[in-house]
Amino acid sequence: MSSLAIKHGAINLGQGFPNFDGPDFVKQAAIQAINEGKNQYARGYGIPDFNAAIAERFKKDTGLVIDPEKEVTVTSGCTEAIAATMLGLINPGDEVILFAPFYDSYEATLSMAGADIKCITLRPPDFAVPLDELRSKISKKTRAILINTPHNPTGKMFTRDELNEIASLCIENDVLVFTDEVYDKLAFEMEHISMASLPGMFERTVTMNSLGKTFSLTGWKIGWAIAPPHLIWGVKQAHAFLTFATSTPMQWAATTALRAPDSYYEELKGDYLAKKQILEQGLKDVGFTVFPSSGTYFIVVDHTPFGLKNDIEFCEYLIKEVGVVAIPTSVFYLDPEEGKNLVRFTFCKDEGTLRSAVERMKEKLKRK
Amino acid sequence: MMKEKLSTVAKTFTPSPIQQLSLLAQRCNAINLAEGFPDFPAPHHIKAAGISAINSDFNQYRHVQGICDRLAEILKDTHGLEVDPLTDIAICCGQTEAFAAATFSIIDPGDEVILFEPAFETYGGCISLAGGVPVYVALDPPYWTLDAKKLLNSFTNRTKALVLNSPHNPTGKVFTRDELEVIAGACRMNDCLAVTDEVYEYVTYDGIKHVSLASLAGMQERTIITSSLSKTFSVTGWRIGWAIAPALIASTIKNIHIRLTDSAPAPFQEAALTALTCQPPYFESLRQDYESKRDFLVKLLVGVGFRIRSKPQGSFFLFAELPENCLLSDVECVKKLIEEAGVVAVPGCGFFPSISCPSEDSHTVAGNQFNYQNRFIRFAFCKSDATLSSAALKLGEFMKAVGPLG
Repeated sequence: MSSLAIKHGAINLGQGFPNFDGPDFVKQAAIQAINEGKNQYARGYGIPDFNAAIAERFKKDTGLVIDPEKEVTVTSGCTEAIAATMLGLINPGDEVILFAPFYDSYEATLSMAGADIKCITLRPPDFAVPLDELRSKISKKTRAILINTPHNPTGKMFTRDELNEIASLCIENDVLVFTDEVYDKLAFEMEHISMASLPGMFERTVTMNSLGKTFSLTGWKIGWAIAPPHLIWGVKQAHAFLTFATSTPMQWAATTALRAPDSYYEELKGDYLAKKQILEQGLKDVGFTVFPSSGTYFIVVDHTPFGLKNDIEFCEYLIKEVGVVAIPTSVFYLDPEEGKNLVRFTFCKDEGTLRSAVERMKEKLKRK
Repeated sequence: MMKEKLSTVAKTFTPSPIQQLSLLAQRCNAINLAEGFPDFPAPHHIKAAGISAINSDFNQYRHVQGICDRLAEILKDTHGLEVDPLTDIAICCGQTEAFAAATFSIIDPGDEVILFEPAFETYGGCISLAGGVPVYVALDPPYWTLDAKKLLNSFTNRTKALVLNSPHNPTGKVFTRDELEVIAGACRMNDCLAVTDEVYEYVTYDGIKHVSLASLAGMQERTIITSSLSKTFSVTGWRIGWAIAPALIASTIKNIHIRLTDSAPAPFQEAALTALTCQPPYFESLRQDYESKRDFLVKLLVGVGFRIRSKPQGSFFLFAELPENCLLSDVECVKKLIEEAGVVAVPGCGFFPSISCPSEDSHTVAGNQFNYQNRFIRFAFCKSDATLSSAALKLGEFMKAVGPLG
């Protein structure tokens, strides 16, 4: 899609990263670290001060007190946290439950670990967890369940009721939970809840997060996993053989970033909310069926009013004839058929870009 | 209950006695000749390139194709290899990730992988993580020579690949062209793949030139080269490395890399362009600096009583042998050096995965009952002249107080 987009000079609302840069105070912290000679291997599981900052932030967010030395591993982005968790904690043949649509590295790393994937599809309009299906698929044979909240690509946020239900099933069947919470600071319509904070869940949960989305520095690759010592052990081991250590100057800068005052996070949310409103209203005006997105910087829509056969054809048409890029969501499902009516737009772009994209679509995209 | 939740492979990895010694070293404030990274600053112009990239907003996910273009040129000029920068190169988070992605690309559960011992412990760990079976072939002390017969006998019908690290950590050996021919012949005959770790490619001494295994006849088509910026440019914390392989394998490595980490740190990819356009004088001066540090350390350690029959020809490691009449194991000797001399190094047993390091609780055995795997200590000389001089001072004092080792 990217090369097609460039060829047609299309406005890119497909890629999940900002076209604006991260805050100066964080960039300057990285520059200072480089100048101060912090350019050699960091301690494998994270520089001590960064681990401490991660623990402090986690306490602020969830109320949980964790040991930064024994319950945190720093990784090259949340992607690596996921890979290390799968490879460190999953045996070939283990059953793992995944919710579709999902970020594609989940399925890939589960395959690398030899897992037996059981998929449960979240469906429009509200992408609610189908609890009956979950109860039928979870059993004592289930090793783990993977939860991404706020959710890419739908923007869904798992509610307290859903998390409580999943938690009780996990406790009953002795199942681990792996959570990807990278968009936790982009929670607009409801409060973000970490599964680890629910009663009885910390001991069986690996909570993963990263710097990139919160601080608009997606290329720095700074992520982390938080889990009780007996689970962190597996993550740490796998991580040691996957990347050994994480970028040193960026860890120092991330330490500064995570200690940012509340005002930073409020401003971030405010900025993104304004962008969301532009895109959401714009997509509605254009004629898409727009599904409510509670969090992340993504909105998923039904493209079928425009008469294209499937999501890939629609996206190609959108690039070539309209000059806008979206992502076909069928790539996020085990069975692509399930995603063929949906495409994902992102609003992690400056307001001018969002408005131009909306204008182009209003002009050139006609309902059939 | 919770221990069962670990994967089978993860359970096999035990804490290393080396870590315990590291902690001891920290408590004793010992001079660190153990860790394989420089304690002197990275080159100024490389740091400036990193800073400039951050300021110029190269901070989102990206792939810097220029790195591939430059690497292709370098491989052509240095090794005569024709590599397509568009299809044959994957940029990764350090050589570690390049090796991991390469491993997951080629290893199925049960596949055997031949490694030379002594070996950097990460290779075997990564292979095990992918379900592979490491098969160690011992290099023969004291010169760490390759025994062709031993190598050929280690191949089975399950052998998928062979790993070659040259210049070599921990011994500093640079495999000779004859040895490379033997290895290449074995790979061709058994139709297996080769994965190389060439991170010390620019750190060679005495006029010796690093030869890439892939440049031998019939090897490019079956070799995955891995390397990085880390050792050449003293930026081990930047995590920029690469894998170079025939297009089909390279494309698989890229796909796996994307699922492991998605991309290497963006600003440092940009800075890599500056690093990779360094001219010969940079590499000459790198070699010369390290060579003089090597010579200083050899002299120093011989003075303390170590035997150094195999002087490093490459890398910044020296594998020193305990004197014959020394009754200590490598672990005990390192402990003694930390506590009494204030200098820390790495016990060699950690590089022999086919034996395990004796723990702190194991009793001293009479010196000549130790196998050679417990008779070597690895010293790093990627340290400033000030550090090396301090080490010399401390070891000198230790000698006065205790006498030479042995």
